[in-house]
Amino acid sequence: MEEMIRILLVDDEDSFRGTVSKRLSRRSIDVLTAADGREALELLDRDPVEVVVTDVKMPGMDGIELLRQIKENYPDIEVILLTGHVAASDGVEGIKGGAFDYLTKPVELEHLVSKIRQAGEKIRWRRDQRKEAEFRKRMEQQMMITERLAALGTMATGVAHEINNPLAIIRESAGWMRLILGKEEMAAVPRRSDLELALNKIEIGVERAKRITHQLLGFVQKDDALSAEVDLPMLIEESLGMVKREAVHKGIEIVRDIQPLEKPVYSDPYQIRQVLLNLITNAVHATGGGGRITVVLKSVQGGVLIQIRDTGEGIPPEHMRKIFEPFFTTKCPGKGTGLGLFVTRGIIDRLGGTIEAESRPGEGSVFTVTLPRRHEIRKNDIASELNTC
Amino acid sequence: MVKIPTRILLVDDEVDFVEMLSMRLQEAGEKVTPAYNGEECLKLLEKQKDHIDVVILDIRMPGMDGIEVLREIKNRFPLIEVIMLTGHGTTESAVEGMKLGAFDYLLKPADFDELAQKLEGARERKDEQEARIRKAESRLLVRRTGGA
Ligand SMILES: Nc1ncnc2c1ncn2[C@@H]1O[C@H](COP(=O)(O)OP(=O)(O)OP(=O)(O)O)[C@@H](O)[C@H]1O
Ligand SMILES: [Mg+2]
Repeated sequence: MEEMIRILLVDDEDSFRGTVSKRLSRRSIDVLTAADGREALELLDRDPVEVVVTDVKMPGMDGIELLRQIKENYPDIEVILLTGHVAASDGVEGIKGGAFDYLTKPVELEHLVSKIRQAGEKIRWRRDQRKEAEFRKRMEQQMMITERLAALGTMATGVAHEINNPLAIIRESAGWMRLILGKEEMAAVPRRSDLELALNKIEIGVERAKRITHQLLGFVQKDDALSAEVDLPMLIEESLGMVKREAVHKGIEIVRDIQPLEKPVYSDPYQIRQVLLNLITNAVHATGGGGRITVVLKSVQGGVLIQIRDTGEGIPPEHMRKIFEPFFTTKCPGKGTGLGLFVTRGIIDRLGGTIEAESRPGEGSVFTVTLPRRHEIRKNDIASELNTC
Repeated sequence: MVKIPTRILLVDDEVDFVEMLSMRLQEAGEKVTPAYNGEECLKLLEKQKDHIDVVILDIRMPGMDGIEVLREIKNRFPLIEVIMLTGHGTTESAVEGMKLGAFDYLLKPADFDELAQKLEGARERKDEQEARIRKAESRLLVRRTGGA
């Protein structure tokens, strides 16, 4: 079966339109007709076609002008001109103006059919080219993101190693000082409250730095870490448990919509827990008293879907693009690192899943994660290679 | 009641860290022996295995790394409990460590209270284990004397 092709036939001669369109229809060509250029343009406006076959000599707008307007407004449509025997120069002019080809009248039907088919093929070829280019571009972008993540992973390893150890020393030293300060013999130490204030600040500072390094570390974990059967309902409970205090304190209702999964999921439970914790924590932060957070778990084709919905403040459209970027945060300094979603996306990427965010400012946000039933382990990830010492 | 100190072997190549944490733990009533690498840790255990309850072990150290050291400890001194400490994104080694029989693990900079809690847990597990062995031994003894 030949592929159906849709054309518009424009000619001021009623009988010509009638016979040609009838005969073309029998050759699996779907024909619309118009008696002049104006009608043709009106039709195209409503009803897209692939090829226009138009007479050149027509009262009012001639075929050349129609061609020009079509090329301007519908660059994808191919135009075949029909010229009078003596007016071959019209045809040449038409080709210059972007026509696919021209045929001289009287037109032989077979000839016309084959021209229409050729034009259709050209359109299809162009579409495929475009699709391929788009695909290639998407792949390149994906690669760029992956490379960026890998580079950041490598750096994070170094940062974590170099920073966590001195942080531990600072923390132990401050703790030690606090201990000494609490001793009886120190009861009368002058300016005690100044010292305590400073110790507090040191401890808060350490905690803040620790949140950054630990967040990044979660991200760096090697890909070949684990692929075990994951108990998602339990991981969800665990993550909810970790924010329970804050949620209760703020008066947020937690709703679970957990459906039993048809088949087990094999993935990395530690990384999934971090994803859940990041998303749920964000939801708790964004939601005020009387709000609601819903956690959905259900099976979908090839995997599972996890959704964290909140009735919180929402995300303004101009932030939507940035929320997954590292260090983007709207929280006060020290409250948010802006790494949560970045790390989350990195993890999901490596677990072979997807994440999407939707939001209506003032109404709430929805984060939807899908995970494949089985996560393929990408072994030679640059980050993981450099991570093994 | 006087607290019976937990006898700790603290192993980390970060000298300042070992020094500060030792002081803090000692101040909290524990008894701490420092070691600065895996080899030293094992040598010390060889000599004082009956005087150590818990090893706090850094995973990432030059030379013998924490996981290797842990494996040795569990092989040669199975009753001694190990808490792993890591400054690195090596949760998977931590998981491996748990499989090898470590009591628990903490990510640096660890919270002192959390560490203290884990130390207590490790100490309890060791005491229970020892009590169980003593009981089994005495039962064996009873049976033997009963048979005679
Ligand atoms: N559920 C949500 N509702 C509203 N805004 C959100 C939500 N989740 C994320 N955001 C926005 O995206 C920003 C980035 O989130 P991300 O988790 O990456 O960092 P953070 O939460 O600010 O910091 P951290 O994760 O370290 O606490 C947030 O600061 C917030 O503006
Ligand atoms: Mg966050």
